[in-house]
Amino acid sequence: MAAPEVHHLFHNPIADHSFSADHATLAVARDSTVELYGKAGNAFKLKDVLKGHDKTVTSVDIAPNSGRIVSCSQDRNALVWEPSPTGYKPTLVLLRISRAATFVRWSPSETKFAVGSGDRVIAVCYFEEENDWWVSKHLKKPIRSTITSVAWHPNSVLLAAGSTDAHARVFSAFVKGVDERPEPGVWGERLPFNTVCGEYLNNSAGWVHSVSFSPSGNALAFAAHDSSITVVYPSGPEQPPRAVLSVPTQLLPFKSLIWKAEDEIIAAGYDCEAFRFQGGEGGWQLVGTVESKGSAGHGEQREESALNMFRQMDLKGKVKDDTQLKTIHQNTVSTIRPYEVSGGRVTKFSSSGVDGRVVVWNA
Amino acid sequence: MSIIQQHTAASLTDAWRTVNIDILTEDSSVNFDTSTLHPPQPEVSEADVRTLSTQVRQLLRGGDAEGALRGCLETPVYNGTDAAKDAHLQTIIEVLQSIKASDMTPLLKGIYAAPGGSELLDVLMKYIYKGMASGAPAAAGLKSPAKMTPQSTGFTQIGSRPGASNEPASAAMSVLLSWHEKLVEVAGLGCIGRTMTDWRRV
Repeated sequence: MAAPEVHHLFHNPIADHSFSADHATLAVARDSTVELYGKAGNAFKLKDVLKGHDKTVTSVDIAPNSGRIVSCSQDRNALVWEPSPTGYKPTLVLLRISRAATFVRWSPSETKFAVGSGDRVIAVCYFEEENDWWVSKHLKKPIRSTITSVAWHPNSVLLAAGSTDAHARVFSAFVKGVDERPEPGVWGERLPFNTVCGEYLNNSAGWVHSVSFSPSGNALAFAAHDSSITVVYPSGPEQPPRAVLSVPTQLLPFKSLIWKAEDEIIAAGYDCEAFRFQGGEGGWQLVGTVESKGSAGHGEQREESALNMFRQMDLKGKVKDDTQLKTIHQNTVSTIRPYEVSGGRVTKFSSSGVDGRVVVWNA
Repeated sequence: MSIIQQHTAASLTDAWRTVNIDILTEDSSVNFDTSTLHPPQPEVSEADVRTLSTQVRQLLRGGDAEGALRGCLETPVYNGTDAAKDAHLQTIIEVLQSIKASDMTPLLKGIYAAPGGSELLDVLMKYIYKGMASGAPAAAGLKSPAKMTPQSTGFTQIGSRPGASNEPASAAMSVLLSWHEKLVEVAGLGCIGRTMTDWRRV
């Protein structure tokens, strides 16, 4: 198995990262800017800095087909960056929120995006042709606290959101004139805007860090601050779910999770590395880490000369240098995203974290 | 009118920054009963706790420490009077004290491996923290928490140190500490995280 591709971009936290569809451009949220890195050989070189926000940028997403970038920030704004021959042109989005925007994602159709906020609303934004700007509709009820993450269903109508009120919810974000009427499915049949298709919490109910629909869209997984992941299998509209499976772990909480396939979930967070969960409707379990430690180049146990040993003891008061974690990420992993998908399975995924690294892994 | 004249005393101070705008927002969490977000827990009365405690003591006398521990962890008092909650804490601490240090790890591993065991160990962690927080648990229950706070007595600390002056309390505390250590070895740091995030308080 090939070694993971590590890009140490800088010594600042990366709030969020996104690769373009051809993997040639990497957008990362750094402080109050979005930095664009271009692939040069095996490395990524800084290409452009998108300045427009005046507070910390919390999330960034590149639409795979149109190449538009959307970013949102604690300054309560979201900007859509339109690619043009002379660079990226920002357009302000009317979010109408009075607290920080926390999370943004394009819908798979790329005609809409959803912005989570600390204002207990999710702004679903779409382009209004006649006024030539991006407007938003609010998903408000029954959110009781900050939205930490959102995820789109493959049909671009349903939206899952995780919140600090410990609930993961599934909403309809159907916008008339923008969306096709969706096929009836397990989440509901008629889906007008702000229909609540499901509201889930697990027993110990930590706040939800990340939500994700399975590739088919027929199951929902969320990671919460109680170090667990929970997988929900709905049975149909207005009915209790077929199964809600919670997997409490011995680890620190997960900040982000993705589905590799219907039977596998990858989650990463405060333990600085990614973990694999496998299962199905019968039950899920933690199977191990994605990273194989002790391989060449990492966590190496070099032969130390006696001179070196005494020098270390003299300089640092100890023989071994244990200031490095054994994992590739040296701090919390904040986001993981699918990088390469083939045959409905994620074959590679990328992670970014507080240590300023972006790593591409073999899933 | 120049810009400077528009400033008033009120706008120059930053007192407005301390205005709690959550109170002014109608549907903010301050104006909303957050307990309705969670399903209610069944209420446990003090009498139930007493009955359970006698059963647990019988199991202990019969030498079934694991059964006793499981028995009291399976029925945590999430919803009940303070008296009921304290009584249950006492029962648990009694059980913990009666288990030998060498038996702790195998017993915890046994519980963890069983279905639903992780949940039981989370409950145990909650009670360990509650026991530590209540200052003078179990046998030393008579001593009021107010008296436990160290008094500023200059150099004459020997007499006023809580641990030194109160043998049973410090014994209970050391039992809780060693259980805490063993429990983290088995159930991991996630167990502590769940104790902190969980809205079901014991």
